[in-house]
This record gives sequence, C-alpha cells and structure tokens, in this order.
Amino acid sequence: MNGNMIITGTITYAIRGRDILRNNSYRASVERNLTGNKRYGCGYGISVIGDIDKAVQILREHNIKILDIAPQI
Amino acid sequence: MIYLDNAATSGAKPREVKNAVNYALNYLSANPGRSGHKASFDAANAVFSVRSKVHKLFNSESENSVCFVGNCTAAINYVLQGNLGQGDHILISSLEHNAVYRPLFSMAQDGRITFDVVNIDVNSPDTCVSEFERKIKNNTKMIFVTAASNVTGTKLPLKQLGLLCKQKNIMFAVDAAQAAGHIEINMKELGIDFLCVAAHKGLFAPMGTGILIADKPIKNVIIKGGTGVDSMNPIQPEILPEGVESGTLNVPGICGIGGGIDFLKRIEKVKPLQQEKQLLSNLYYGLRRIGAELYTDDPSREIYLPVLSFNIKARSGEETARYLASKNIAVRGGFHCAPLAHKTIGTADRGTVRVSPSFLNYSEEIEKLLYYIKKL
Repeated sequence: MNGNMIITGTITYAIRGRDILRNNSYRASVERNLTGNKRYGCGYGISVIGDIDKAVQILREHNIKILDIAPQI
Repeated sequence: MIYLDNAATSGAKPREVKNAVNYALNYLSANPGRSGHKASFDAANAVFSVRSKVHKLFNSESENSVCFVGNCTAAINYVLQGNLGQGDHILISSLEHNAVYRPLFSMAQDGRITFDVVNIDVNSPDTCVSEFERKIKNNTKMIFVTAASNVTGTKLPLKQLGLLCKQKNIMFAVDAAQAAGHIEINMKELGIDFLCVAAHKGLFAPMGTGILIADKPIKNVIIKGGTGVDSMNPIQPEILPEGVESGTLNVPGICGIGGGIDFLKRIEKVKPLQQEKQLLSNLYYGLRRIGAELYTDDPSREIYLPVLSFNIKARSGEETARYLASKNIAVRGGFHCAPLAHKTIGTADRGTVRVSPSFLNYSEEIEKLLYYIKKL
C-alpha cells in the first residue's frame, strides 16, 4: 500500500519526525525524497501510512519543519 | 605515567567510547544524510541517537540544536562570527581562552565590532554580575563567558548572567570546554542560547570532537558547502544542524561522544567531581606547606572545577612542567592559551603549572607529584 511522503528536507527533521510519529502509533520510515526532488533538491522525507492530516498536525506541534506533502511514488 | 592534564584532554578513554568508535569504523562507514542506502541510513540513525543524547544532557531546545563540529574552538567561532555584525558590541570575562579572545580581537581590528572585558575575581566570581550589567551598552548584542576557567577552575555565575541577558534582551553564549561533563549545564534553566563543548575533555570522546548547541539561529555560517539538503540552491541553508555541518561528519568521533555520555551515566554514582576536588585539595595544602605560589583558595570550594594553577620558587610554569615530565608526570605548563586569565591572576610574566586530575587518579599519585616538587 502506498502512503504519503512528508518532505522535511533534512535528515535530522526526518528522523525526529519519524520517531515522533512512531510514538503516536504511525507506521513511519525515513526515505530519500524522490517526489519533490526537482523542486527541493536532495533531501529526505517521512513515508507515512495512516491519517496524513493528523500526522502533519502532530509534527507541526513538535516544530518539525515540513516542506511539502506528496503521494509516495 | 601519572596523567594530570585532563583539562587539555581526558587521558583515559573508557570502554564505552572505544566500543562506540570501533563499531562505527566497522559498521558505519557510509555518509550520513547524503544517500538512501542502508549503510547511509544506519550512519544517520547512529548520529541522530547521539544528537538525542547530547540534547537531553544539556536540555537544549531539540536535537536540531545539536551541531557536530571539529572542536570547541570551531563552535565558538561559529557563534561569534555567525552572529556579530557591523557595529555590534560584546562583553566577555577576563578568564576567556584565546578561542574567544582571538576571534574577537581580529573582528575588532577589522573595525567590525567592539568588545569589553569584565574583570573576574577568581576567588569571588559572583561579584562580576553587576560589572557586566554596568558595561552593557545600547549596541551590546551578546555576553560570552567561559563556564569555568581553564587556568584557575573558577566557575562563572551562569544563572545570574543568563538572567541578566534575558532582562536586557541580549544573547548569552557559554564556552563549556572545561565544564561540560563535570557539572550539570541545563541550557533552558540557565538561559543559554549557545553552548560550546569540547567533547574530548569532560565527555571523554576522542580528540577532534566539538559540539555547538545553538538554541538560536546562526545567521552567517562561516564554513559553507555541501549539506545534503537543497543542493541546487547556491545559498547556504540556515537550517540547523545541517547548515553548520557542511562536509562529511566525523561519524566515529560522534559515536564516541555517545559512548562518553553513556560512561558519564555509569559513573554518576561514584561522584567523580567530588573525588577530583578532594585530590586537588590535598595537593593544594601540600603545595601551601612547601611555600608554592597559589592563586586560588582551597579547590574543594563550590566555586571551582578541578583545575589548579601554581608556581614554585622563581621558575616559570613551563620549566616546572618540563621537570615533572622528566619524572613521567604529565601536567601543563605555560599560558594555557589564556592570556587574559594570566593577566587577571598576575602570572603574565611566567605562566603557571596547571594540574587537572580525573577521578581515575589516586591520592598516591598526588603525593608523588608533591614529592618531586619538594625536591626542586
């Protein structure tokens, strides 16, 4: 099942965000950003399966910088 | 060898550090934050886990505040050169290391900034706060102080200075080269915006490991380059920590920092600081009995960390240190890269001998040091 990619840009935000989402019972993993690669250059994102809006809200509450949200390729 | 030069670098590296470095060399030889293969992710996860340990140890804003750099001097330069601009004024203490003094001196020579030095009474440091307050100007942007002198061990009143900075809305930066790992430094409680750490000292990590913990942005990063982020943009990203970490990270060294923090937790119960101060106190009274020149009170006092300077007879600090080295005793002689501190204690003409034990030293080793000094 394809989920969504929350593009954070940096690996540090991606790992922080992944851990926060996992603590909130999400299936989340850090991946290389393929979806927004042309727009954002190199970088990372969090692959998430589940309620993406809620996941984004949780991450924002923890000051995780989010560049974009895109369907996972 | 009797190693009493822990203020320069911790002499004995614990097994947690060696194991962590060894693991990194064996299994984490890939570039973290650059690629998408397993080895790169493994390295990135390992680096992040150390960021997390450092963040918790110093209670910084988050893991994003923790930037790994080459040494404490680099961290200090990032803060000073990254945040002070044309016309800014900064206050420092009279116990600062050249890591702080020289960048500021150079910036002042170039006409970019001005700075003032607040004199510290090494035996009564709390009295400096009112002097700092008196010297604040309209354009004062930052107070930068050492947490503890590398010459006298004198601790500065960080809590009061942090409060002063908050009241006056100026940045507060601390050089924790001597203090990190020895005493609790809670950035949020102390109001510290920037903390610079020499991880190879009190955190027992390998040499070549420094940490800049930045709870505020670094506006003009002095080393620019590849960060693994936003690669097509020619402008250096400001985002932390990556914006400060251009180039490949020292993954084995960073893992060593993590091992050092684990070690600190393991030895917490033996109260290492108390043991080190007791050793120095014994040395202090031994030196006093033989008429050595001492510049501070009993090192067991709360205001000091375990660093003691002295001189004996008319010898320079360097001469005495060389003599002790010939007896296989490692201490540091000279000016310890801290000219302001030597002017403060009146030893600018001959420096001092500096003794900085660790809790791994024995009282017999201090007695042996005294024995050889008596023979001089």
